[in-house]
Amino acid sequence: MSLLKVHNIDTNIDQYHILQGVSFEANQGEVTVLLGRNGAGKTTTLRSIMGLNPVRSGTISFKNKEIQTMATHNIANEGIGYVPEDQRIFSGLTVEENLKVAMKKKDEQTQKRFEYVLVLFPDLKKLLYKKGGYLSGGQKQMLSIARAYVNNCELLLIDEPSKGLAPIIVEKVMESILDMKDKTTVVLVEQNFIMASSIGDKFYILDDGKTVRNGKMRELKEDEALRRQYLGIA
Amino acid sequence: MNKSTIALIVLVIGLILLPFIQDSRSILILMTQIFILGVFAMSYNLLLGYTGIISFGHAMFFGIGAYSIGLIMRYYEPTYLYFLFAVVTTLILTAIVSYLVGLLTLRLHSHFFAMFTFAIAGLFLVAAEKWRSLTLGNDGITFKIPDFFKDRVIFYLLSLGLLVLAYLFFRRFTQSPFGKVLQAIRENEKRVESLGYRVFHYKIIANVISGMIAGLAGIFYAVSLRFVNTSVFSTEITLDALMMTIIGGVGTLFGPILGSAIVQFAQYSLMDLAKVHWIFERWVILFGIIYIVVVMFFPSGIVGTVKTWFTRRNKQILGKKKPEGKKSMESSKADAMKNILKGEVDG
Amino acid sequence: MDAIINITINGLATGMLIFLLAAGLTLIFGLMDVLNFAHGALFLWGAYAGIWVFTQTDSYLLGVFAAVIIGILLGYLLERYIILPVYGNHIRQIMITLGAMLVLGELVKVVWGPNVMIANTPAILSGSWEFSGILIIKYRLFVIFVGLLVFLGLLFLLNRTKLGLVVRAGVMDKEMVQALGINIRKVFLGVFILGAAMAGLAGILLGPYTGVVYAEMGLEFGLLAFIVVIIGGMGSVVGSAVAALLVGILGSFASYYLPDISLAVNMLLMLIVLIFKPSGLMGTKEAVK
Repeated sequence: MSLLKVHNIDTNIDQYHILQGVSFEANQGEVTVLLGRNGAGKTTTLRSIMGLNPVRSGTISFKNKEIQTMATHNIANEGIGYVPEDQRIFSGLTVEENLKVAMKKKDEQTQKRFEYVLVLFPDLKKLLYKKGGYLSGGQKQMLSIARAYVNNCELLLIDEPSKGLAPIIVEKVMESILDMKDKTTVVLVEQNFIMASSIGDKFYILDDGKTVRNGKMRELKEDEALRRQYLGIA
Repeated sequence: MNKSTIALIVLVIGLILLPFIQDSRSILILMTQIFILGVFAMSYNLLLGYTGIISFGHAMFFGIGAYSIGLIMRYYEPTYLYFLFAVVTTLILTAIVSYLVGLLTLRLHSHFFAMFTFAIAGLFLVAAEKWRSLTLGNDGITFKIPDFFKDRVIFYLLSLGLLVLAYLFFRRFTQSPFGKVLQAIRENEKRVESLGYRVFHYKIIANVISGMIAGLAGIFYAVSLRFVNTSVFSTEITLDALMMTIIGGVGTLFGPILGSAIVQFAQYSLMDLAKVHWIFERWVILFGIIYIVVVMFFPSGIVGTVKTWFTRRNKQILGKKKPEGKKSMESSKADAMKNILKGEVDG
Repeated sequence: MDAIINITINGLATGMLIFLLAAGLTLIFGLMDVLNFAHGALFLWGAYAGIWVFTQTDSYLLGVFAAVIIGILLGYLLERYIILPVYGNHIRQIMITLGAMLVLGELVKVVWGPNVMIANTPAILSGSWEFSGILIIKYRLFVIFVGLLVFLGLLFLLNRTKLGLVVRAGVMDKEMVQALGINIRKVFLGVFILGAAMAGLAGILLGPYTGVVYAEMGLEFGLLAFIVVIIGGMGSVVGSAVAALLVGILGSFASYYLPDISLAVNMLLMLIVLIFKPSGLMGTKEAVK
């Protein structure tokens, strides 16, 4: 069943027409990967879903509800968690405070989520009272994912979690994303194809602000020509 | 030669003939003030409208000009030679001050620059007030000027000349490659920087030119009154320039001149009206309201709004010929508005 | 000795008043990047309305109440109708709030006349105490006390409550806060109104302190508060407090020992800070591009 359905969206940033018809679907419990060169519009797609760069036309439905005209905070409260490209940790707040900002309700479920992320990322548990600014890149990435998850998240949008991280850390992050799969659906933007292919179920390729190809991840693994054409990798 | 150039030439000829057609002294003085403050507002517009820098201390350059001429005329001789000396002094002083101020602050975000210039102008004001032995403080100094400038009509024509020269200069300047870079900085500073332009240098030069021209306006202002006191350094002077620019149209050549005319006429007539009803004594309220209304509903000022309106109309005429005209009209209008709205510099 | 203590107390009291204005400004700027030059108008209206009610009813407490209420009311209107339409554009913000400042400043003259308004000290706070030969005016201590109370309250709000947490996070990254499901606009309105209430309070506190209030005071104190915000660092409440006390005390000493340059002291202080540490004493926001 598709949880998120993005249909033919166009987005402008200032006078620049960045997205010119992006469509994709993310199914419940799957990891959907958006691939593409730099500047293809992957980040803008995620930002458009969050309402941070509002779409000019097209529809975005989440749980069969159109959300493309809603305000960012309402979109988040529908159950979408956002992990931006550079993590955007509140560097002056402690790890715990970073999580608390996102914990809107005080109910049992939120508490459970809080406990879950601390189990998933033992590093964070150790650093709970440290300021976000002192964390390493990998820890920031974990915190950013945890922070996006603790609200009432049913869909995680994760933007390039491997960027700037050591391979071993990337592996750890990817493992945790896999671990979260049975709890939440994931849309992943990734340049690192090996990582993306190891956890992705489906892929979509963006080029020049349009979705140009899609399919099962395993098809892409076998199709070297396609990879070369759009991703510049063999 | 296009229509607007012809219209401007006709306007200038009309203004040259004005003192020979009617002989109301107060109108002549009012017009002279409009010209002088128009030049001042234009110099302000180079920063605000063409470079996207907001200054709260533009009065300092105006004041430097006014005090240069005042002090030199008073303590030396009111001769042409000393007059020239005062002009040169003003140009050098304003250039140095604007260069230093720019050097210290143009790397900062716009509001820091605003506060910095505000502080410097404040220091000039305090200095003028406290250095009583030289400036006589707030009482100000009266001074003599060469006879030639005493004639109201001649001075009127000279001020008009200054205005026309400033207009031509700014027209040339803003259309030059240098001016284009400045406007690009206003639109998107980071992108200009990444294209390899040294944004900082461009901003400093704009600041220096703007300061020097404001200094010239200050000279004319003081000469027209034959008196100068500390009010030339006050924040009100800067705010006047800001208001004229906004009302007339930020980033348009003619806007500041029109703004100057409107503000001066309004002050002139509202002060008269104060005798009719007490509410007009509080004319500042009306100004404040105009401020708010203009910013809210005509963010591109009068000239900018009219321009947009014309562009839209022209596009509509074209649109009848081309079926896709409507879309392009809308987007170009949006672009035009965006360009004007983006007085903002920092992201 | 006598003089030095009294000058210090004077400076502290003035500093506290400026702090009440600057604290609101610094949060408004830190949270939403809004430059509000009409903040002084809230202060002005607080002063006039508060003193007027105080004189009419002879109750200082009612006066304080009136000042805070008028601050809140005007703050709400200002945010909704003046600042809301110009989000994200500093130049338009500066111009429109200056316009509002002019209108509100002149309206004071329309309502209460163009002359200065005399403010008496409430009986219970008038007079002075004597400590080992040093005379200390009660009302000034009262102002310092109230300022301190507000400062501590503000620190508690920011550091110990959920709202404060959201505000601190918002100052660092408002877009991210929204993406975590928080309606930052609502939070901002709350902060704006809080700032307005503090400005109103500062107004009524100032009245009996200087003895008279006048319409130009709005812009004067508004700009002074801005200077303090810049010195302290935009977005930092503690920075504003430090800077306000610094400005207050320096100004107070300068006007006693160097009256000629006392006007220039704040300006010089701001220039020095801008040159050597443009982000302010405790500022976190980048000042340099």
